[in-house]
Amino acid sequence: MVLLTRVSKRYSGRPHPALEDVSLHVPPGQFVYLTGPSGAGKTTLLRLLFAAEAPSSGLVRVGGADLGRISSRQVPLLRRKVGVIFQDFKLMPLRSVFENVALALHVAGRGPNGLNGRVSEMLAQVGLADKAQVRAGELSGGEQQRVAVARALVGRPPLLLADEPTGNLDPGTATEVMRLLLQAHAQGSTILVATHDPKLLDLVEGARVVHLQAGRLLEHP
Amino acid sequence: MSRRRGALGRAWLQMREDPWLQGVAVSTLTVALAIVGAYLALCLNLHQAAARLATGATLMVALEDEASLERGRDLAREVAGWPEVAEVRLVGKTEALARFRQQLGPHQGLLEGLTDNPLPNALEIFLQPGLRAGPEMAGRLRSRSGVAEVVTSRPWLHRLEQGGATLASLAMALGFLLFLGVVLLVTNTVRLAVYARREQLEVLDLVGASSGYARWPFVLEAVLQALAASLLASLLVWGLLALLAAPAELPLGLDLSQLLGLDWRVPLALMGVAVLAGVLGGLLGVGRALRPRGPA
Repeated sequence: MVLLTRVSKRYSGRPHPALEDVSLHVPPGQFVYLTGPSGAGKTTLLRLLFAAEAPSSGLVRVGGADLGRISSRQVPLLRRKVGVIFQDFKLMPLRSVFENVALALHVAGRGPNGLNGRVSEMLAQVGLADKAQVRAGELSGGEQQRVAVARALVGRPPLLLADEPTGNLDPGTATEVMRLLLQAHAQGSTILVATHDPKLLDLVEGARVVHLQAGRLLEHP
Repeated sequence: MSRRRGALGRAWLQMREDPWLQGVAVSTLTVALAIVGAYLALCLNLHQAAARLATGATLMVALEDEASLERGRDLAREVAGWPEVAEVRLVGKTEALARFRQQLGPHQGLLEGLTDNPLPNALEIFLQPGLRAGPEMAGRLRSRSGVAEVVTSRPWLHRLEQGGATLASLAMALGFLLFLGVVLLVTNTVRLAVYARREQLEVLDLVGASSGYARWPFVLEAVLQALAASLLASLLVWGLLALLAAPAELPLGLDLSQLLGLDWRVPLALMGVAVLAGVLGGLLGVGRALRPRGPA
């Protein structure tokens, strides 16, 4: 599903690389924690995987596509197959919960027949069916994160990336969000969760843990 | 988004979300289009006035002193039957003198010493619109009995016609510059909208929206704003011209109210200008801002 081979990423004006000589293979269906302190390169690594960044050197493949050579026109097609959850949610605050979740299907050209049912089903799964017509900006942080999770999962993406998905949430809501990710994993999605919170690691039994330190990868046994 | 929305629906949705931006965009475009509208109205009215001057009394036929009014009437009837002639008016010597006296205004005392009326009976011949009196027609008139002299169009009219082409080119160049100004205004308005919605656009980008999905609502929004502005601008121009157009005589027999009228074609032309400027400005505005984004 994900293959990184000797990947480095340098930003101009910064003395140290954000990632250095990182190699990682994530087979389909795996649940991977990407851990490390702030500034270790977790977000950069995730950004490489949905083509928000290009590697300075090395090979990045997602679902067979070489992201170092992908054209800008192919990027939207890739992103429709990769669900992304951000710490700051990235929602449209003036649009309703339903509209925010439906967006992921709408941009992919899904018609109303399949779209309405699937969005309602997803909102029920994240416990927001009764708030479908509420504006996203009027929800609490935990609810907004559940909207973001629903949007990421509604298209049943084969790969799900989550960047500090519980960073702004209380422990109860964080557990609820992790439960949703586990549910997606059970349905076959490959999942990469970047976190610096060690408590999260205990929530998923048998998950693989990959540690990043100053841009270098250290795999935990 | 309970039903699938096309680009127009999404444009309408994003317009509703930001009424302040719509207000700014429509009001600035209204002012710009009102300037274009006033310019179009003035150009059109001047063009019509010039056409009226050119098709005014283009021939004056002076009759011989001996020719009676009756002869003048016969000749007027004959000439009125010619296909190129729109109207013939017989001006008797008494009327001609009265006109001359009026034209002299405060100097009409100069005529007080006259014992006889020196002016001849004459015919004023008005041609069909677009036609001019050529030498052939003047020759035909001269060959009629009782005709002393045929005066074809006035020299200043020739000069006006010669200068007309240059004036038209200048008017078109200025009109094009005004149009470019409106296009640039739309472009900047769209860029402002793109900037104001950069967070929404980032979300669209992240969920895999194509460039066209994000781009077309902005273009359509620009067209809708320009259309609304063109209607308001037409009302504004109409109101301003109505306010200024008091009946007042101008040189060459023109009237100020004719020059400041609003022809029905002006609002239509303004709508056309608005749509074109909306499409061009919209495309230019989103062109740079919403290029397909690949890995940085």
